[in-house]
Amino acid sequence: MKGIGHWRGNRLTAAASLLLGAMIGLLSVSAFRGMWEPDPVFPSPWLTRKAMLADYHPALKNTPGDTEVFVFEGGEPGGSLLVTGGVHANEAAGFMAALLLVENLKVEKGKVVVIPRANASAFTHSEPQEGSPQRYGIEVPGGVRSFRLGARLTNPVHQWPDPSLFRTPAGQIVAGAEARNLNRCFPGRPRGSLTEQVAWGILEVIRQEGIGLGIDLHESSPEYPVINAIVFHEKAAEMAAVAQMDLQFEGLDFRLEASPRNLRGLSHREWGDHGGIRALLLETPNPVQGRLKGRPTPELVVTGRDPFYLKAAGLGRLFIPYDTAGAPLSWRVARHLAAVEAILASLEEVEPDLAVAWSGLPEWRAVVEQGVGAFLRPGTGGGPRTDGGGGVAGQAGGGARRPPQPGRP
Amino acid sequence: MSEPLVFFTMALAFVGAAAVGRLPIGISLMAAAVVGGLAGGEGVPVRHLVEGGFGYFDLLLIILSAILFMKVLQAAGVLDSLAAGILRAFHRRKTLLLLASMALVMFPGAITGSSTVAVLTAGPLVAPVLMRLGLGTLKTGALVAMAAVLGMAAPPINILVMIMGGGVDMPYVGVTVPLLLLVVPPALAIPLWLGHRELGAVDSEHLDDILPKSWFGEYGWRLFLPLLLVLGLMASQRFLVRFMPDPGLPVIFLLGSLLGWRSGRSFDFLEVTRQAVKDAMPILAILVGVGMFIQILTLTGGRGWIVVSLLGMPKALLYFAMALGLVAFGGVSSFGSASILGVPFVLALMEKNAILTSTALSLVASLGDLMPPTALAGIFAAQVVGEPSYLKVLRYCLVPAGMVLVWGLVVLLSAETLERILL
Ligand SMILES: [Zn+2]
Repeated sequence: MKGIGHWRGNRLTAAASLLLGAMIGLLSVSAFRGMWEPDPVFPSPWLTRKAMLADYHPALKNTPGDTEVFVFEGGEPGGSLLVTGGVHANEAAGFMAALLLVENLKVEKGKVVVIPRANASAFTHSEPQEGSPQRYGIEVPGGVRSFRLGARLTNPVHQWPDPSLFRTPAGQIVAGAEARNLNRCFPGRPRGSLTEQVAWGILEVIRQEGIGLGIDLHESSPEYPVINAIVFHEKAAEMAAVAQMDLQFEGLDFRLEASPRNLRGLSHREWGDHGGIRALLLETPNPVQGRLKGRPTPELVVTGRDPFYLKAAGLGRLFIPYDTAGAPLSWRVARHLAAVEAILASLEEVEPDLAVAWSGLPEWRAVVEQGVGAFLRPGTGGGPRTDGGGGVAGQAGGGARRPPQPGRP
Repeated sequence: MSEPLVFFTMALAFVGAAAVGRLPIGISLMAAAVVGGLAGGEGVPVRHLVEGGFGYFDLLLIILSAILFMKVLQAAGVLDSLAAGILRAFHRRKTLLLLASMALVMFPGAITGSSTVAVLTAGPLVAPVLMRLGLGTLKTGALVAMAAVLGMAAPPINILVMIMGGGVDMPYVGVTVPLLLLVVPPALAIPLWLGHRELGAVDSEHLDDILPKSWFGEYGWRLFLPLLLVLGLMASQRFLVRFMPDPGLPVIFLLGSLLGWRSGRSFDFLEVTRQAVKDAMPILAILVGVGMFIQILTLTGGRGWIVVSLLGMPKALLYFAMALGLVAFGGVSSFGSASILGVPFVLALMEKNAILTSTALSLVASLGDLMPPTALAGIFAAQVVGEPSYLKVLRYCLVPAGMVLVWGLVVLLSAETLERILL
């Protein structure tokens, strides 16, 4: 066989290669751009105000790091709670549980601030070599709502290049790519990289809204030991222990993990050290982000049912019980919901003056039984977007169509 | 098709394209990725191919700029002058010369965590010296490749440990002593094993016959400025990370290249750049192909199948599976191997100290840079010594690599004892 040597490297092959490259570019560009537009959020009618992170840290204005901040205030004075989802955009239950709060919450006492897409940039791309689906669908009353599955890190199109080594704002040296990991960038830098500015913005929310308790919603892969867990800053140790016992009583097993003092830049460490608040981080198990997963389909995001994780469970390699039922998204969201409520209950026990009380949310068992979609607004058919600040009350559930917000990815 | 079947189809397509069709390795990997998409029922998943292909984008820029830098150093006469200087200093003490060569190649690897950078920056300085003193081309290539691999594993920067640590939330702290324990013994043994017999000592009379032309007389210390600039900036990335912004390796190499243009013999910069791009292209294509290959392997479930199959080995075989899997997967990418296999392995050995297991596994995984088809350390070492077939160089790496592998496993197996002594 002669091989291809005879047609290597002439003008024709060069032109053909360029043409092929351009074609591939054209073919794929719409797929990548399809993740730039944020999925609509339909806040509950009891939303007090919708702000943007740039309202707390103006440098974020018109950047891909800017993101919605939903504030719910109750009639009675009380404490104030911050809930973040989407610090890691590939951890669907974190975002979805925060969304469930935004679309249902009615705060009776105190204040609740929810940031469902804490790292908005991370929602605009997928991690190379993970083969992740770009979207997954959730059945809601009257249709299916589609959501982006993002990546763990900030989009390199928005923050590039990575340094060789990254010194976190908290002073630890880690691998360079972690410069785009929001959960290594706390407490942030006001004039730092995009990710550090987002982290700074969240610390500004904590300071300006007078937050006393912060809960960061995550997921981890089933082969990872910190899972089904409540990770707590030492200021929240007592609360975490009380909450864990209550959850046990409900039939939900959670591990308690103290936030390691030498692991810097994480929300549960720096919100506590720099924000001065009680900080906790919750983990649920998510097969689609793990290294043992089979085909990473949109269904796997929702059902959490994977043949290789089943096999690994049989081999005793997982840190959670895992069977043919899988780890459905609704069950994972329900765990987050139950844990947040248990933490609020324990706050009331420990510090009654700082208590937060709410209604409007489904019971966690109902989320497991009916699916999380049953408690989301039917958003199909182009409902209202949550752009424009100010009062949004009454906007939920179908209203006037608004133009997409300019300047956002 | 089932996951293993898709994987074997992809492997077959790669071998078919590379061995039978004589397509370049990079193109063969891309073709195998396309075949995998079709076999896995995904059609031609253009988005996944592009996404995967960009997986090593930053590394591509580093390699391209590093090759340019190497070409500039050659063209400016820096390499010849430096080789002459080293020869003059060390020609009577071959043990010292061998160990110094080893350390010289390891150094850039140790501070960047990349075997590629080690081979490309220090390889061209050391290789001509060794070859002039009688060490065969292939053995010289093997020595450079092994030094690069050990440099990659050596402290202060071991990216493989960082990747594994990142996957298990282990901070990159306290790794220096275990890494030294892992790296130093093979770094002493390998150069002596490879070179002690062949390397000849030369007396001063014959020295001038084998010395390359030194341009030191014409240009003086100016010659070494580009090298000092690059090494200085590379060290500052590590040691001044607190105080100065990181210019990034591509910029560092480009600055070094521009300085090299004006610090020695004059040459046509554009022509050298053209040569560098030409030399780099096959390697860049391999990395793009590897990215596509892994993405499709993951997309079709083949990656999960491989990881779970390795984890499913009986306990006695687990260490064997680790050694085999980490090195074999390194043939695709050693960083990928550390992330995809290394992290589950550290987790599987959770009862042991994570610092010791991850550092020992990193030594094993670093050997992946000698594993075809990518074999980055082997390919570049062959290029540095001017050997067209990198497989011939790799043959001489077999025994040294075996030493490294065994040493890594010994440390891994005795982790409990070591933990009591070291940590
Ligand atoms: Zn997370």
